Amino acid sequence: MPLVRRTWTAEEADKWTREDGFAIALSPICYFGLTLGVALCLLLRWEGFAISAVSIALIVWMHWIIDPKMKAISEEYEKNQQGYLRDLEDSVRWKQREQDAP
Amino acid sequence: MNVLFTWLDWLWVAAFLLLMIGSGVLFYRLGRRSQSDFFLAGRGLPWWLPASSVYATHTATDTPMWITGIIYRHGLAGIWYTFFSAWAAISAFVSTRIFRRSLAYTQAEWNVVRFTGLGAEMLRGWMAGWQVFMNMFVLGWVGIAMGKVCAFLFGWPLWVGLVSFSSVCAVYVLAAGYWGVVMADFQQGVIAFLVIMIVSIWGIMTAGGPTGIVEKLTILGETDRLNPFAFTGWWTGEFPAAWFVTMMVIAILGGFGMGTSIDWYPEAQRIQSARTVRDASYSIWWGTLVGLVRNSVWAVAILGFFVLFPGMTETAEYEMGWFRLGFDYLPVGMVGFFFAAILAIHLSTISSHLNLGALYATRDLYQHYWNPEASERTLVWVGRWSTLILLLGSFVYGLMMENITEWLIFALWIMTAGIWLPNILQVIWWRFNAWGYLSAWIANLGFSWLVVWILPEFGVIPELLDYQQFWLLMLLGVGVFIPVTLLTKPEPMDHLVKYYVQARPLGWWGPVRREAERRGLIQPDAPPRRALSQS
Repeated sequence: MPLVRRTWTAEEADKWTREDGFAIALSPICYFGLTLGVALCLLLRWEGFAISAVSIALIVWMHWIIDPKMKAISEEYEKNQQGYLRDLEDSVRWKQREQDAP
Repeated sequence: MNVLFTWLDWLWVAAFLLLMIGSGVLFYRLGRRSQSDFFLAGRGLPWWLPASSVYATHTATDTPMWITGIIYRHGLAGIWYTFFSAWAAISAFVSTRIFRRSLAYTQAEWNVVRFTGLGAEMLRGWMAGWQVFMNMFVLGWVGIAMGKVCAFLFGWPLWVGLVSFSSVCAVYVLAAGYWGVVMADFQQGVIAFLVIMIVSIWGIMTAGGPTGIVEKLTILGETDRLNPFAFTGWWTGEFPAAWFVTMMVIAILGGFGMGTSIDWYPEAQRIQSARTVRDASYSIWWGTLVGLVRNSVWAVAILGFFVLFPGMTETAEYEMGWFRLGFDYLPVGMVGFFFAAILAIHLSTISSHLNLGALYATRDLYQHYWNPEASERTLVWVGRWSTLILLLGSFVYGLMMENITEWLIFALWIMTAGIWLPNILQVIWWRFNAWGYLSAWIANLGFSWLVVWILPEFGVIPELLDYQQFWLLMLLGVGVFIPVTLLTKPEPMDHLVKYYVQARPLGWWGPVRREAERRGLIQPDAPPRRALSQS
């Protein structure tokens, strides 16, 4: 079993998995690293270039991990979207509430 | 200072304004088709359009003033004050995904998707009213910042800068709604980003370049300003490490929730305007990243301003630092380009908040509570009237802003401190209900007054530092909303199952998930070793 899974069925992609955990952990590190790294780069500090390079590599890795899953989620969800939108419009017009009443 | 504009400078400004108004004309037909078009561009945008809107909206006229103020005061460590927008790091992959699947037009509407019954309706009404007010306030706040910039540059009375440019902006928002906003934001985002880079790098070079800035700070005995972690101690002083840690917690863990930052509300509109869940996630993630990089560039430019003008003590004087780098040092003919970029920064924020405030007024107040059967044409017109009322209201707010700023900053604090945890719990915990959430809002209103103002005033408790206020308000809130939640009924299981199947939230949703599985609405969970806190 590979560490990171890159092929998904729609039903599998809808669940929260290890790949989501990777994205959740890596994403703030990328933000933190680039905020710090760019500032230090502009002061010509070597740490800035190193931190920025690592952060960019992490961004690429994070997208490599999460993108197949996001695609699978989106494709499946879009099929059901029209039905959900109809429910939402009923709700804003109070229709759903009336239908649900005993 | 009065800046001398040549004909070339005015040409830049005129060309830019024509381009923006042209957006309104060009997208007029799309904007008027339906409520969904007027407020969400038909939910069909590729990720980079809402991303540019996220970036442009959160680059306001007062943003460089605020960032200049904190960097001038704290040095590079001040950059962590700007890190609040990092809530998008986790949100892009958690709450953005969940919110996009709910399809709610607004955060107020989301309350009736997640909760149900009287409590949910009370939450929707309260949040819609609050957001109409908040957007009018932000419009006034940003508008008067433009008034100050124009007074600084041209010696105009404050109201001229406030009224004139917001009115120009209203033309394309009234005509094309969110279509106009997002198309103009894309252009404005590109222009603003380029000019911020040019002016900041120009400023850095004027101050002697990176090496020159470091040398001059050394001579001034201010090398601490180069240290991004130069705090005033662990617990005390103007910027203790405890406040840094608190800000990190608020920002990063806040991404699991919705509404943990006031920026969530405009972002929610951008999330729903994206064509897929994936586009929504990437728009929030990348738009925020560009903003964070921009802050870093600004921070170093302000260090350059500091070595050029050290020793300023008046906030009103040094907070104009970045604008001075542009207007004092850019060559003739480029000053107008810089001013056009400031207009871009200004209009992108004004247009977003005009349309967003009108969305809450139209969708959540007018349609839901006043005229549920309104036609699409009527809703678009109500959207336009709401936009106009917000614009006029913002002029009033803007002109009285000096008197009410302190109160309103307090109001913003209320939004963050005691509601932070409930904003997360509503997403990740099935048992949290509308009454718990409502009680958190009400309790926080009272506790905030007590902790921030009343008790210190009467000497009952000392005046607390920001991080102390945050944690105390959070704990006091827990003492109210947890018992209220547990003593009142959970949301009906039918409603929770419907929500779960549609939104697939992360967190403690075990009983709801099992019921959805029992009804055959979803497949049983994946093997436990791959599952992530699903129960």
